[in-house]
Amino acid sequence: MTEPLDPDNTESPDGQPAETTPAAGEATGIRPVHVDAVARLRALTAGIAGARVVEGVLPAPFAEVWAVMGDLEHGFGRFQPDMRRVRVSRRDGDRVEAHARSRYGMRARFDGILRPGWCWLQSRFVIIGMAAVAEHDTTRVALTGGVRVPGRAAIVPIGAERELRLALARLHTTVKAG
Amino acid sequence: MITTVPDRRTEDPSRDPTRGRAEDRVARAADRRTRGVALARAARRGDTLAMSDLLDHLIPYVSAICGPIAPDARQDAVQETLVVVFRALRNLDEPEALYGWVRAIAVREAIRIARRAGRDTPVEATEPPAPGDPQLATDIDDVLGRLSPEHRAVLVLRDVEGLDEQTAADLLGVPEGTVKSRLHRARAGFRRMWTA
Repeated sequence: MTEPLDPDNTESPDGQPAETTPAAGEATGIRPVHVDAVARLRALTAGIAGARVVEGVLPAPFAEVWAVMGDLEHGFGRFQPDMRRVRVSRRDGDRVEAHARSRYGMRARFDGILRPGWCWLQSRFVIIGMAAVAEHDTTRVALTGGVRVPGRAAIVPIGAERELRLALARLHTTVKAG
Repeated sequence: MITTVPDRRTEDPSRDPTRGRAEDRVARAADRRTRGVALARAARRGDTLAMSDLLDHLIPYVSAICGPIAPDARQDAVQETLVVVFRALRNLDEPEALYGWVRAIAVREAIRIARRAGRDTPVEATEPPAPGDPQLATDIDDVLGRLSPEHRAVLVLRDVEGLDEQTAADLLGVPEGTVKSRLHRARAGFRRMWTA
């Protein structure tokens, strides 16, 4: 069997209007298909047992929505029901390390990825996934996450969807308030 | 911990800048393959950050398989392939087999989506494009799109992926003779349409 196609990663940042990037790999010259951030979230969540995805369209431009969602220290806690304070302790490109404290006093250290339209954070006990994609003057948003089964790609499903719906509703309110 | 699996594309200072371009390309492909396998291994251990990186890593590869097979529905084909890949990732017993495993899923999903998209037109039944059609000279996708999904799949596996006929037959679940005949007809159809 020969070597497979060159699996180069040349995808553009997520969350922007659909666009394709140059060649998938030098070996093929085939341009990678643009998979937007919400579609990525659906695919990734398919691999996480118990995970739910809640989606909605917010009547605000992508930049306004992501200004709240992507601001871990000042925006995130305004709509995530369980978060009281988040401090980003390290950034390296799109990699982040953050320390969070929940409303119930629990602390967690998250490692993750943060780039326009895409946020994926993981601690030992929590997974948080957020995606946003511009749709004309509105923004499609998808949220996932919850209490993680320690060390596994699995989420305790009890109450997860309700929490996500609450977060989406609060995000809507926060963005509307400006 | 910031990076789950090091990206060797940017972290290998030992790479010789004088190395030939072809050799360099092969080395980079091998590096990426190694990275993909490492990501798959970490993902199977439950590291969801590695899963996110693996998703980014696989999109170009899956695009290159699905694109030519499902030219009118490539986005759906890629997205549905990724969903199937991640849903089944925990069943991937040997991460070293990642690319062959993903390829099999991508081919199957691309054929299914292409059929659903209504482009399941056998090569024999198609009208060749009119001579002088400007698309013909510039758009290889258009010519590929006139073949059936099964013929496009055989072309991708043999002429793009470089698989032998037996391996392609195993992957498609058909006898080797069927692959040979499909390949012959696909190449003939492609040549006829391309030169018409």
